[in-house]
Amino acid sequence: MVRSVADRAFSPARNVLEEVGDMMILTGRTIASALRPPYPYGGEFVSQFLFAVRLCWFPLLISTVAFGYGAPGLQAANFLVIFGALDRLGGFFVLASIREFAPFVTAIVLAGVAGTAITADLGARKIREELDALQVLGVDPVKNLVVPRFLALMLVTGLFNIYALIFGIFGGVLATLTNGAPLGPFWATFFTNASTTDLWGSVLKTTLFGAIIAIVCCYKGMTASGGAEGVGRAVNQAVVIAFLGIFAFNYVFTQTLLATHPEIQVIR
Amino acid sequence: MSIVSGPEAHEEDEFRFHTGRQAPTGVQDAIEFVDVHKAFGRNKILRGLNMGIPEGRISMILGPSGTGKSVCIKHMVGLLYPDQGDVIVHGQSVPNMHDDELFEMRKRFGVLFQDGALFGSMNLYDNVAFPLRQHTDKGEDEIAEIVNRRLREVGLANANDKMPNELSGGMRKRAGFARALVLDPDIVLFDEPDSGLDPVRTALLCELIQEIHEENGGTYVVITHDIMSARRVAEHISVLWRGRIVESGPAEQLFESDNPFVRQFLSGDSQGPLGME
Ligand SMILES: Nc1ncnc2c1ncn2[C@@H]1O[C@H](COP(=O)(O)OP(=O)(O)OP(=O)(O)O)[C@@H](O)[C@H]1O
Ligand SMILES: [Mg+2]
Repeated sequence: MVRSVADRAFSPARNVLEEVGDMMILTGRTIASALRPPYPYGGEFVSQFLFAVRLCWFPLLISTVAFGYGAPGLQAANFLVIFGALDRLGGFFVLASIREFAPFVTAIVLAGVAGTAITADLGARKIREELDALQVLGVDPVKNLVVPRFLALMLVTGLFNIYALIFGIFGGVLATLTNGAPLGPFWATFFTNASTTDLWGSVLKTTLFGAIIAIVCCYKGMTASGGAEGVGRAVNQAVVIAFLGIFAFNYVFTQTLLATHPEIQVIR
Repeated sequence: MSIVSGPEAHEEDEFRFHTGRQAPTGVQDAIEFVDVHKAFGRNKILRGLNMGIPEGRISMILGPSGTGKSVCIKHMVGLLYPDQGDVIVHGQSVPNMHDDELFEMRKRFGVLFQDGALFGSMNLYDNVAFPLRQHTDKGEDEIAEIVNRRLREVGLANANDKMPNELSGGMRKRAGFARALVLDPDIVLFDEPDSGLDPVRTALLCELIQEIHEENGGTYVVITHDIMSARRVAEHISVLWRGRIVESGPAEQLFESDNPFVRQFLSGDSQGPLGME
């Protein structure tokens, strides 16, 4: 009796923990399987990479320029103008764009556009029993489907982060111009504050975001059940879990980076 | 049905017709289920299944819809694991195999899934050629010859370059059938090869199964709802209900059985132990 009440009360929590555990196991298996020969996933890797690039470049372009221009650009500029310190916007963009906004916008666009496509694709294959058929034909789905998506998404997210950085900063430039200020001071404060630590930290972080998105989306796709409706549910859950994972991981990563590299906390 | 029945009485009721009699077949079992239990959540599907599939025969598994016939097939190739009990293929325990052993074992299997399970991203030809490309070093010419022959046999010679989503259910079934057989496997599992086909094609497919079996030998397991097909091709029949075997044995004996459930099921009668539930 006590047990059944406890079961009912805690089972959602237990299921979530179980799923997280399963995803950890999948991560481990994916990495092991990526390293161990043979390497049959080259073709799939290239096609997944191009697929993600084709799907994401335009939404990402719009999001980053609009976001960079609107949020940190115009709003921070408004604020800085009060102090007559609009030149500081460049320095602020190192903090805002490189460290947080570019990685976030990249991750959100990648999860929402490429991640959902992966979950829907794998989910549909699972429902049609294609994944079972593959396994019976001696094809390991982890090696042939998860590994290429995992690697492709890590690479794409890392690269797209630089792309998002560039267009995000372009949004800041636009905001400076909107305020009728010259660009020289913007770049000056930008480069005194920017450090290589910021750059590699940002790229490393987004690469790992890509890994989280890939694992969550592949896991949710491969465990979809319950017909077409089940695929829809899986896609929905995949996005939610990926976002939560990214936010949680971002906290840990930023804290660790700041703690290990205290010099980047100093605003020059 | 008595209205007042304790849980025990119910238990007894439930398996009233399950004699579990396994009439001797005279050959060894290629596949053996030993007291297999399998549940999905609270939904108990297999409940102490003991079943033997004789080597080198065409065996049929019959049973009402939703009793777990497809689940059975997935246990044989290690896609599902029993909660309890053991599944033995050629003397090896499937649930205890390492991944490598499992992949080796699966090469000897050909499986037709219930919905065909064709790869949506490949056309028919590539679907049927897939196992050959995966497991043999045959050249493209040789592969083309085998694939075209198999596709001709199932009447899909002109649909080579169609994608699976352009085909009817029955055509997908037949393509899946062709794919299951290209490697001339030792053990072939067909999940309802005849559902969704017209009566003539069903009859032709049954003949095809027999022909290919005579040609290549091997152990065939066929799941079907079609009693006519069972009469035509079955050499051995297992009747599955409520997660256990009701009766199994050589086909002639089962068709003569005096078990009320088996009789009802094999004659497709609406009167008898099986209702809609
Ligand atoms: N992966 C799964 N997860 C949860 N439940 C499942 C799963 N696979 C099968 N089931 C359940 O197991 C039961 C038996 O399914 P199965 O597909 O084996 O039936 P069947 O005997 O093949 O029926 P049919 O003749 O209609 O194909 C069904 O109630 C189904 O809901
Ligand atoms: Mg079935």
